[in-house]
Amino acid sequence: MVNTLEELPSRPRCAAPPQHERGQRAKSFEYHRPASLNQALELLGGGTARLLAGGTDVLVRLRDGRLRPAALVSLSHIRELSHIELGAPIRIGAMARIAEVLENQALCQLLPALAEAAQTLGGAQVRNLATIGGNICNASPCADTAPPLLIQEARVRIVSTSGSREVPLDDFFVAPGQTRLAPGEVLTEVMVDRPAAGTRSTFIKKGRVRMDIAIASIAASVVLDGGRCVRARLAAGSLGPRPMRLRAVEAAILGRVLDGSTLAAARSAAEGEVTPITDLRGTADYRRHLAGALVVRALMRLNDWRGP
Amino acid sequence: MSARLSFVANSDRVELEIDPSARLIDVLREALGLVGTKEGCGNGECGACTVLVDGKPVNSCLMLALDVEGREVTTIEGLGGGQGKLSIVQQAFVDRGGIQCGFCSPGMIMSTTALLRAHPSPTDGEIEAALVGNLCRCTGYKQIVESVKAAAATLRAQRGDSHV
Repeated sequence: MVNTLEELPSRPRCAAPPQHERGQRAKSFEYHRPASLNQALELLGGGTARLLAGGTDVLVRLRDGRLRPAALVSLSHIRELSHIELGAPIRIGAMARIAEVLENQALCQLLPALAEAAQTLGGAQVRNLATIGGNICNASPCADTAPPLLIQEARVRIVSTSGSREVPLDDFFVAPGQTRLAPGEVLTEVMVDRPAAGTRSTFIKKGRVRMDIAIASIAASVVLDGGRCVRARLAAGSLGPRPMRLRAVEAAILGRVLDGSTLAAARSAAEGEVTPITDLRGTADYRRHLAGALVVRALMRLNDWRGP
Repeated sequence: MSARLSFVANSDRVELEIDPSARLIDVLREALGLVGTKEGCGNGECGACTVLVDGKPVNSCLMLALDVEGREVTTIEGLGGGQGKLSIVQQAFVDRGGIQCGFCSPGMIMSTTALLRAHPSPTDGEIEAALVGNLCRCTGYKQIVESVKAAAATLRAQRGDSHV
C-alpha cells in the first residue's frame, strides 16, 4: 500500500526557510575591506561586526533578513589568508576558495577525501566564491569539507588582537551555526598533518542531485596492514547537530579485516552513533539507514583501493 | 549609507557610489544597465546571474558589489565584438537551439565561455560538471550540451585567430 503524505508517521518538523520576495533588499550596513589581517582584527574589535568570507551563505541570509549586521568586514582582499602550503603540517588559508583547493593537484593527491568533497560542493560558480574557512565557520552540520578534515584530525588557527590559539576542528563545532569563535576572533587557517604512508581515504555524499546539500555524508580513512585495519578514522555530515567523528565505528573495525562481519559491525555502530533529525531533505530514519549504508560503501571502497 | 566602488566592467573602468548592501547583480543591472545578466533564484542555485570575475564564473547574486573592487567583471554584453556581433559560443547556442525562453542563456553562455577557455575539448563529463550550477527549465539540456560541443568544434577549427 502506498502511503499518502498525510499518513507518513513523522512529517518534517523543520520549517521551510524564509522566502524572499523578488526585489527584496538587505538592510544596509557599514562595509570594510581591510587589506591585512591586522587591519581586519582592529576593525572587528570586540564588537558586533560580522566577517564576510566567500559570501555564498551570508548573502542569502542578508537578503532574506535572517542576518542584519551593523557592519561587515570583508576578508576577500587579504592575500595572506589564501595560502595553500604543503609542508608539515599542510596549511590551508581560511580564504582559499574551494576551486583553489581543487586546482591544487598535489593537495588533492595528499587529501583525496577533501578533494572528493570539494568536487561536490555546489557548482563551479559557488566553488569560485566559497572558502574553506567560510565552510567551517558557517558550522552547518552538512558542511562538505568538515568530515574529510575531521578524519585528518585537522586543527584550526584562531587569531585575535590578543594572540593566537589552535583548536582541534572536532572541538570547534558546537551546534548548528555555532562555533568556539569568540567576538573579535578570526579563523585564519586549517592545519592537517601529512597522512601516514599507506593511508587510504574517501568521501561519499548522498544528495538529491549533484550539487545539492548533503542528506548524509561520510568520510573515511584507514591504514591496512596485511588486510587488517591498523588505523581508522571516520566522520559524518548531516547526521547530527554538528559534523562528527564516528568513534564507535572506528572502534568496531580497528584490528580487524574488513570482511562481511566487520562491515556488519560497522553498519550497526554507525546506525547507533548518529543522531540525525527529520527535515525537508530526509527523515531521521532514512538518514540513520544512510549512515550505515554509506559507512559500509566507504569501507568497501577503501578495501579495494587503487589510489586516489 | 554609501561607498565608492571602482572596477572594470566589460573592459570599461567604472566608478560608482553605491549602497554597501548592493550585490554585484544589482550594480550590473541597475547602475550600469547591463540587464543581460538575469536574476533567477537569488540564492545561488540557478546560475542565471553567472558572470566572470577575473575570468572565473561566479553567481553575481552571491557577491557584494564592493567585493569586486579592482577586479575585472565580464557579462554577456562583453562577449561579442560589439555592434551586436555574437561570440562563437553565443552563435553556437543560436544555431543549435540551445535557447528556448532565453532566461538561463546568459548564465549558460558565461559558464560555457569559462569552460572552453580552460578546456578547449571538454568531455561530456566536463561539460556536465561545468554546467551543473546552471538550471534550464525548457530544453532538457540536450541542445545546450550540443551547443557547447559545436562551439568547441568551431573554436578548435579557428584556433590561432580567435578568442572565446
